[in-house]
Amino acid sequence: MLKFVVRRVLWTIPIILLVILMVFGMMKEIKGSPFRRTERAVPAAVMANLNRKFGLDRPWYVQYERYVRDVFTLDLGPSLVLRNQDVNGIVEEHFPVSAELGGLAMLFAIVVGVPLGVISALRANRFTDYAAMLVANVGFSVPAFLTSTLFIYFFAGKWGGFTGLPTNGWDTWSAKVLPVIALGLGPLTYFARLVRGQMLETLQQDYVRTAKAKGLRWRRVVGVHVLRNSLIPAVTAAGPLLGFIVTGSFIIENIFAIPGIGRYYVTSVEGRDYSTVMGITVLLSILIIVANMVVDILYGVLDPRTREART
Amino acid sequence: MATNPQEEEVREAAITRESEAAERMRYEAGAAVRQTSLWRDAVRRFSANKAALAAMVAFVLLALYCLIVPFVDPYDPNAVDFSQAYLTPSVHHFFGTDQFGRDLFVRTALGGRISIGIGFAGTFAIMLIGILYGSISGFVGGWLDNGMMRLLDALYGLPYLPFAIITLAIFGTVNFWTMVIALTIASWFTTARVIRGQIISLKENDYVRAARAIGARWNRILFRHLLPNTLGLVIVFVFLELPGVVLGEAFLSFLGLGINPPQASWGSLAQDGYSQYLSHPYIIVIPSVAIAWLILSAFFVADGLRDALDPRTQEV
Repeated sequence: MLKFVVRRVLWTIPIILLVILMVFGMMKEIKGSPFRRTERAVPAAVMANLNRKFGLDRPWYVQYERYVRDVFTLDLGPSLVLRNQDVNGIVEEHFPVSAELGGLAMLFAIVVGVPLGVISALRANRFTDYAAMLVANVGFSVPAFLTSTLFIYFFAGKWGGFTGLPTNGWDTWSAKVLPVIALGLGPLTYFARLVRGQMLETLQQDYVRTAKAKGLRWRRVVGVHVLRNSLIPAVTAAGPLLGFIVTGSFIIENIFAIPGIGRYYVTSVEGRDYSTVMGITVLLSILIIVANMVVDILYGVLDPRTREART
Repeated sequence: MATNPQEEEVREAAITRESEAAERMRYEAGAAVRQTSLWRDAVRRFSANKAALAAMVAFVLLALYCLIVPFVDPYDPNAVDFSQAYLTPSVHHFFGTDQFGRDLFVRTALGGRISIGIGFAGTFAIMLIGILYGSISGFVGGWLDNGMMRLLDALYGLPYLPFAIITLAIFGTVNFWTMVIALTIASWFTTARVIRGQIISLKENDYVRAARAIGARWNRILFRHLLPNTLGLVIVFVFLELPGVVLGEAFLSFLGLGINPPQASWGSLAQDGYSQYLSHPYIIVIPSVAIAWLILSAFFVADGLRDALDPRTQEV
């Protein structure tokens, strides 16, 4: 077990290096220098000095090595556009907001989605099941920008006097309600469908039939034998769902004017703030790689059969 | 074709035997007996699945709307007429008009052409890369497979949006093809992985071993025995990946990183509507519903196809 965990943890290091290299290589390909944004003619000597200050005159592998070193010492470098601000500061300012939004959305999705899936499976092919799955499928297919806009239109606009919910911002609890639900809706349906499918599969297993045959109460069969074994695969959903949340947050933060990292990212790309774009991309990638690692280890603990295959 | 006389003889004998047997059966049953192939079986199973069939009809209707309406609609999609601005949906303008008085019924159809076009082009690219990567990895096996899968593990789960945005920044311009590349670049991992799994499990089949035993070359085994058998899976995945690509394009367009006006996609139409949702909510609702329609129908079609092509999943 220890060997499995150690190997899995060590394996993430080359993965992170590779992904940083990929992001680094892509950023190098972007045309246009960040320093050419001003209309003023910049003397060649000043240009050279600027390039030297940010190390842009060195060969790419030297830059890469320096960058990796910096990332591992938790220094994402200075912003190329905003003077006197470094990427660390930007991340510290905006990331907690996004993390809170994403975390609350995930919590909402689990708390509502899992029971929805369980109820659907237990009432399979009956009205409750169809109704729940209809809601889940609609929630899955309607793009996030429509649900958020409709939320604002109805709950904050039309019935705003009644609900008292504001349309944007992130300062008060009431401001967090709508964006969290809007962002959590996709993962919610994902959970509901996954749990339903797993439950239906588990319900057909021999050990469930045995448990039923030996006269266990139905509640105990479901609680002990079915539910536990069905929820384990749901753990693996956390990886792709994190990607889902990241993507969704770009849209949601834009619509609700939330000062998170996704909203800042789009601005940075448009402003050609390379180091910020790179820093945020690397940060998000590492976040997902580490989440995948945690999920793999958790899964290995919960289901020993997968240990060999997943190292 | 085989020119080996012995093989020819055997085949002829088989055909005679088969037709004789069929003849006899037909005679005994007193009715026409039809052979069923795998594909005909799949079509029959698919047609029996009402949800999948309805989804297929919905999908085709949407595609027909996008294809045909621009030819028959009397309104010019780019004609600006402020006296006709902000008309709510009516018999003259089924979907109303936008702030420039442009007819949204025809503009949504044109936007659909671009959205679905990018969707299919992107899906095609994803399939191509996925099949190439997956079949090389699965077929060659050994250390190469190991290395390629480790690489996939590394990339798996990375969010496609930041990478798509960087890719668009690299190109500097946004048009149909740069959009397709941007949406493909971080989206092919799942397909490659699934194809590789399928190739590996197919490799263990008796007919592949038999082919190998009689000395078939590797290219014959791969192209004749393995790849054709992944076709069903590929068809299912086309309908699974399509919604993702369409949605990705819509997200990018909504963030203002999409195709330039006057061309429009469903995403940029929605972005247009978003800026005036308080006064004219229908402008954002219409393209968004079109996207939802596409995603939902494609998803149910994929579900039905999976059941139809793989009878083992039928029991659930």
